[in-house]
Amino acid sequence: MAVHTAAVELSIEHREALVDFLRQLADDELTLGHRDSEWLGFAPDVEEDVAFSSIAQDEVGHAVYYLDRLAELGEGAADVLAFQRDGGARRNANLVERVNGDWAYTILRHFCYDVFDTLRLRALTDSSFKPLAQGAEKMLREERYHLLHMESWVKHLGRAGGEARERLQAAVEAVWRDLGDLFSLGAHAEVLVRERLMPVPPEELLASWVDRVGPVLTEAGLSWPGAPTLTTEAGRVGVHGPELQTLLDTMRAVYHLNPETRW
Amino acid sequence: MQEKTRSQPQVAELHAGTRYEVYEIFVQHDALQSHHHVGSVWAASPEWAIQMARENFLRRDHAVSLWAVRRADIHATAGEDRDFFAREFDRTYREVSGYADNAQRWKRFKARAMTLDEVIDDVREGNAHGSAHSGG
Amino acid sequence: MDQSRFKQFMERIERGEKIEANDWMPDDYRRLLLRLIHMHAVSEIMGAYPEKEWVPKAPSLRRKLSLMAKVQDEIGHGQLLLRVAEDLAAPLGRGRDDLMEDVIVGRVKFHNVFHMEAPSWADAGIIGWLVDGAAIMTQTALLDCSYGPYARVLKRICAEESFHMQHGESIILALAEGTEAQRQMLQEALNRWWEALLFFFGPPEVTESARKMMEYRIRYRTNEELRQKFLTRYIPRIQSVGLTIPDSRLRFDEAQQRWMYTEPDWERLGRMVRENSGPKSQERIAFRRRAHTDQAWVREALIRARAQAAV
Repeated sequence: MAVHTAAVELSIEHREALVDFLRQLADDELTLGHRDSEWLGFAPDVEEDVAFSSIAQDEVGHAVYYLDRLAELGEGAADVLAFQRDGGARRNANLVERVNGDWAYTILRHFCYDVFDTLRLRALTDSSFKPLAQGAEKMLREERYHLLHMESWVKHLGRAGGEARERLQAAVEAVWRDLGDLFSLGAHAEVLVRERLMPVPPEELLASWVDRVGPVLTEAGLSWPGAPTLTTEAGRVGVHGPELQTLLDTMRAVYHLNPETRW
Repeated sequence: MQEKTRSQPQVAELHAGTRYEVYEIFVQHDALQSHHHVGSVWAASPEWAIQMARENFLRRDHAVSLWAVRRADIHATAGEDRDFFAREFDRTYREVSGYADNAQRWKRFKARAMTLDEVIDDVREGNAHGSAHSGG
Repeated sequence: MDQSRFKQFMERIERGEKIEANDWMPDDYRRLLLRLIHMHAVSEIMGAYPEKEWVPKAPSLRRKLSLMAKVQDEIGHGQLLLRVAEDLAAPLGRGRDDLMEDVIVGRVKFHNVFHMEAPSWADAGIIGWLVDGAAIMTQTALLDCSYGPYARVLKRICAEESFHMQHGESIILALAEGTEAQRQMLQEALNRWWEALLFFFGPPEVTESARKMMEYRIRYRTNEELRQKFLTRYIPRIQSVGLTIPDSRLRFDEAQQRWMYTEPDWERLGRMVRENSGPKSQERIAFRRRAHTDQAWVREALIRARAQAAV
């Protein structure tokens, strides 16, 4: 196994796997950042509105980092990648494309994703692809606040009992239905792990995730629906729900007026 | 101001004793600066006050520490009592400006007046992260 | 009113001292300030909605990020201003929830420009460039306000507005440099906003409350002075990017040293603000209800959670 610092050193097999994986990373972050930004002006108080928007910006900022790496690999400019690819070429997990729902679903989904993302980033600090390892170090520092914030929300809403806990429990059920593809590494899983582009395999990541999420749900007084099973590759191989298409139509409403021009 | 005509009971009234409160926020930008006041947030607890303050006051600025203090816990001088701070008579005896003639008098002894800044620069020279002259 | 306290208060004002939240102040000083700052705060928050519509549709990653940051700043400014208003309202027994509910039941007004539609990407540009430009002028004019907490918050707000100015200019410059269709989109947006921009500064006559605010050194400039400054600063720039200002009577009168313009429809636009009857007034008030009233359960839960933790 070699340590890769630039695209030229990659074999064709590596390169395909890496491109696919970078799309997973970029599309997760861009899609969730987009969903988060839909809360602008609607958060439960103005202080939270401001805090939540920073998280949205961080997520989109991370997407830009991954898209820039794709651009370096000759996949096209970041904006072209972000705006032109259709659903079939998107590699985000189904979980992040779902519409926001209520605040309970929003923060529970975010918490579950942030735990996953933090574990994934931690694994990536050992990636054989140096730009990923370097980016992961920085992103982990920003994820610290996201995770703290979301964990506080889950615990406090749960502890409150009543309507808040009921909504949160419903959110747990809804999130659990969408966890099937989150941990999947898609069509090139075997190469990604073997070449240590992504050094931690899905089963191992899932086990760490269960260890981290379980106690928080318990502390929040929520019932644990059982460990999720890795049933499908869905989003990781371009299979998405109708929500993603609506999201993409919105995202591209202005861009598509003239993709050639500068905006 | 009109009479309050509320359609529903206030959150605060539902739970006498606890409610959203005002927290004053203090930021320390780097280790050699003191915390200074930047504003306030409305939050359900000290923990939330800190989390909200991070983005409401530090979207652009770097910081190393943040305090949230319940407004009710702050004791302050009375705003209009300016006399509390009165300093009406000469106190130049405790300021550098009160000794402007020293430089002139050193000249008689063919010596140059010294400033504290010079001493500081001299002593700190070469320290790893000391004076501006240390050259990093 | 306590005449000697009032006299002392006015002496402080005339000495240029800043008044603080806990200082004694005449009732009408408090009420004038509260009305001004409450409306300012609410306008920042309601002003997020026309621009926020364009965040999901922003046509590049960079625009998406900058628009998110800009709208976030507006809400952040709303937060800072609300805190100032809340401290003024506290002795009247009113707090955050009351000030927010005032929006929902139409007891507080917000600026005319935020009742308007923003149907194209160019509107997001015009809002950032000209609406913010106008708002920067009115806010800058309040920087020397005699009320300390407001003056301090405005200082912070104005510092952040400098980014907003660049953000707005960047959007309209891209459109002005772009294709015929982009330039047309920009012109149409300007046509939509021009009258509202003139109205934004308020009627030219000095009302009783405006006179009072100048006496209290809350503000120093008349509406017309600020409108003229705006016109002087922006007309040459608007024209230089090839846009036509939709007012055939617009001209600079050398003799009077002032801009002559077609008056906006004061009656119609004034009614829109008073009655929340603009094209988007009710929709945006409903947005605020969705944020505040519909999510009361979240704030209530946090209070409950704290009470539980304390047990």
